[in-house]
Amino acid sequence: MSGVLTFASSTRFTLVGMALLAVGAALSYENPAGTPVWVLVVPMMLLAVNLLLAIINNPAINRRGGLLLFHIGLLGVITLAAVGRLTHMQAHIELVSGNGFSSAELFDVTQGPLHTGDVEKIQFVQGSWTVDYRAGMKRGLTLDTISVADENGVWQEQVIGDDRPLLIHGFRIYTTSNKGFAPVLTWQPERGEAITGAINMPSYPINSFRQTNTWTPPGSEAIKFWLNLDTGLNENAAWLLEPARAKAQLVVNDGDQRVELNLGDTLALSGGVLRFDSLASWMGYKVFYDPTLYWLFVSSVLSVLGMAFHYWKKFSVNPLLMDSIDTGKNASENNSRVNSTSEYSSEKWV
Amino acid sequence: MEQNIMTELPWLYAGLSAYTLAMLAAFYGVIRTASPVVTQPLNKRFNEQLVLLLVVTGVLLLTMALTSRWIRIGHGPFVNLFELLISQLFSLGLVFSLVYWRVPMMRHSAVVALPIIMIMGLWVLTVTPTDSVFPPTYHNNWLWAHVGLGKFFLSFSLVGSGLAGVILLRGWASTARWFRSMPNNEALDQLAWRFMLIAFIFDTLMLIAGAVWAQDAWGRFWQWDALETSAFLNWLALGAALHARLTYKVPLRIAALLIIGIFIFAFFTYFGAPFYSEAAHKGVI
Repeated sequence: MSGVLTFASSTRFTLVGMALLAVGAALSYENPAGTPVWVLVVPMMLLAVNLLLAIINNPAINRRGGLLLFHIGLLGVITLAAVGRLTHMQAHIELVSGNGFSSAELFDVTQGPLHTGDVEKIQFVQGSWTVDYRAGMKRGLTLDTISVADENGVWQEQVIGDDRPLLIHGFRIYTTSNKGFAPVLTWQPERGEAITGAINMPSYPINSFRQTNTWTPPGSEAIKFWLNLDTGLNENAAWLLEPARAKAQLVVNDGDQRVELNLGDTLALSGGVLRFDSLASWMGYKVFYDPTLYWLFVSSVLSVLGMAFHYWKKFSVNPLLMDSIDTGKNASENNSRVNSTSEYSSEKWV
Repeated sequence: MEQNIMTELPWLYAGLSAYTLAMLAAFYGVIRTASPVVTQPLNKRFNEQLVLLLVVTGVLLLTMALTSRWIRIGHGPFVNLFELLISQLFSLGLVFSLVYWRVPMMRHSAVVALPIIMIMGLWVLTVTPTDSVFPPTYHNNWLWAHVGLGKFFLSFSLVGSGLAGVILLRGWASTARWFRSMPNNEALDQLAWRFMLIAFIFDTLMLIAGAVWAQDAWGRFWQWDALETSAFLNWLALGAALHARLTYKVPLRIAALLIIGIFIFAFFTYFGAPFYSEAAHKGVI
């Protein structure tokens, strides 16, 4: 084997790779998206090569089952992490209650060049949700009810929230702290058919004092809305945010005119009539896809098991831990015993 | 008006007192052993049993502190600095006492390890024991695994650091004689690195469990937040140190310094990163 290959499979090269990876990790701190990907990819590739060559060429590794499993597992982790980055997908979506998931509404989408997931297959309908808060506006559990079609096309209700994502067609869909209210409005233009839709107000309760938004009906001018909510919000006590029980008044600014609309009220504006139909809510989701997750876990656990097995075997050959030093005699015996195990100590136990 | 009585504090103070006494007894043991003018020989066995008994007593008292706080506020010690310090005092004491019991060779290193534990003990006294709110993402079994494995990692690093500290203290004549009855530095070095290897296994498992928890909790298994970055660098440093020992003939003192450096790094990861950066584990609340 050439000198280059020898070096590439050596522990000295491992140290170089680790040092470079440490630099890459430090550079990625708090800003993985803004850090060039090669600061991590290059050292990972170097370490992968190092691991592969060491597994093939180093008898100290490939003749010891535990150590071999450890290094293969590590190589698996690096490889799978790379595959994961190439095939992953991440996005956000806000769903109004009663509406179904639609890939057209995804935003902040990032995905690897080899992404293979079929987001079009995802089907679920947003239901109601609640979030409990403790005093001081500390967010507690989110209980989000959705309807999901099973394999037979029958819709089943499911409650997800926080660390319980919806698992569907390889995607993991998580609720987020981003959620709020959405007045449902109908716009009846002077000519043509009426249109109905919801306007998502800013996230609640973090923006409880800024429940405003703007909408421009087709053929008309921009309308400013302010949603005056009564949700029972009390910053100093525990409360349950339950949109189904919330009451609201929609304040519409039409030029200098300020009009308060209750549910069912209408308002004539230039170009048409606006009706405040109902108050809905919306939930913000994070959509995540990475087909390597399961195998990453398996590979990393196997790796640790291999390492643990290796050292268990080594330590059991020389149970240094149990030696007694109670007396001077034992102490000298102990020392001589340590020295007598030079065949192990030469390997420094690692 | 409802009074919020901190029922855990008396148990905490009692536990810290037991640890303090254990530390004093450990120092008494090594100093008496080393003293050239001893009129009455020290009953070494009794001294070691006393140290062990006091540490175990401290662990039991801290168990009571943790339990009473848990009952009072309704969740485990996972959230604020006060809780993390108490639980760390508990786990460090527990693992240290087990090792102290099973590995007689390392017992005199208690004069290094126990003062380190007591640094946390003094620190917790300066922290206001405010009640914490359990974040929604903490209702997850992987959190237990992650935190528990991390505590084993730090505890075995502490044991390794205690032995490394002995190697370094042997560099001074005044303290070298404290450890006359311990094995030579080569043997201590081997033993210390064995504990660091065990720590490495727990560190790796901690990172795995943490990644699984993060995936469940925040929809990503790795984000390079302050805690993740620091923990990963700590893992790399320990892995690199193990490889360096394989590759080079690292002098014993340098190897001892490496162990202590890794422990300090781990200590910073636990008690620095989560509290200096608001972004530690993004989405924690």
